[in-house]
Amino acid sequence: MLLVVTYSRDARTTLRNVRRTHDATVVRELGRAALFEETELGAFLALRLREKHGDDVQIERTRPLNEFAAVPESIREAAAAYEDRETPSTPYAKFAAGTDYPDPGEMADRDL
Amino acid sequence: MRVTVGNRSYEGRAIDLTGSDVPAAAVVRAIGDGDVPIDMDVNVDVDCPEPGTVHEHVGHVPPATFDRRAALVAAARALGHESPSRPALDEARSKLADLSPPPVDVAAARRRVAETGETEERLQERVAELRGRLQARRKTGADTTAVEAQLDEAVSRLSAAETERIAAEQALERAEAAARGARDRREHRLELEDRVANLEREVRADLVSTVWERFRTALRAVPGTATAGETPGTYDGDEETAALAVARIAPLDAPVVVDGLDRIAGAEEVASTLRAPIIYIG
Repeated sequence: MLLVVTYSRDARTTLRNVRRTHDATVVRELGRAALFEETELGAFLALRLREKHGDDVQIERTRPLNEFAAVPESIREAAAAYEDRETPSTPYAKFAAGTDYPDPGEMADRDL
Repeated sequence: MRVTVGNRSYEGRAIDLTGSDVPAAAVVRAIGDGDVPIDMDVNVDVDCPEPGTVHEHVGHVPPATFDRRAALVAAARALGHESPSRPALDEARSKLADLSPPPVDVAAARRRVAETGETEERLQERVAELRGRLQARRKTGADTTAVEAQLDEAVSRLSAAETERIAAEQALERAEAAARGARDRREHRLELEDRVANLEREVRADLVSTVWERFRTALRAVPGTATAGETPGTYDGDEETAALAVARIAPLDAPVVVDGLDRIAGAEEVASTLRAPIIYIG
């Protein structure tokens, strides 16, 4: 999908108007951002917004995350184990220390 | 105040121009910047104190358009009121004015990535095609010199194109990273814009509240049927009545032009009701 993020009040207002008139193409509205259908119409609406508001409009192309294809098993396991922890107040870094679970700093440095 | 129409002069706090054929718009202009447009073809001059901001709302009754809220805000200010949120609003406004976010210049880098990618793809196809042709010629024992030369050239061009594409992608990455910083600034500006808008609303609401009781009382004193609730902003009635009530509560030094309002009997009466200098036009 196309993620459209606005950075000014005017751009945000235009985005809301687009949502009102094209609710089939605007899949979801998230405050000052929205997800557009990845169609030519979606691209047209996004580009039109950028023509009108220039740098106050950011357009990104997104795709769903397939964690089984894109994320190493160790990360998935760590996420599951951390959510299953006994003490909810334990921060992840402490939880991972001295275990095989990945260190947050190391994870931050590794691209998917 | 002194009003001159042609070679007649009028003086006083309540001046009646009924029958003088002067259009109200010309009088309003004469009170404002003093310039009556030539096409109005009237010679009118008004010698009076400078009109204040409330005049923009009630300088001409009935008003062409009337923003009750804005008129009440102007009246409150003219009465010396200010909202406690005003300093915060001024501060937010000046911060916003000082904030000029840098441009997010990524389009050129994106275009270069797209173009170099296309060139590379085209050359890949060309290399594959030449390789196929070379193989076919070898099979049949035909001369391969020309095709080999073409292939060599295509391969070297492909390698250059690949280098160019990688450079373009790296440049785009750098541009995106710089854009992130610029967008942070834009985000901050948006927060400030919202803050300014909220404070403006707050200030307006405060100012309307400070004069609301006076306004309600004034509504009972001016001609017309309108009622206002205890909660500031709840008003049921026409614009003329609201404009008259605002004119009554606001301190007005410059005259109010009253024109063609049936419910008003004359200049003197309306001057005392509105507690303001009046130019009355039938």
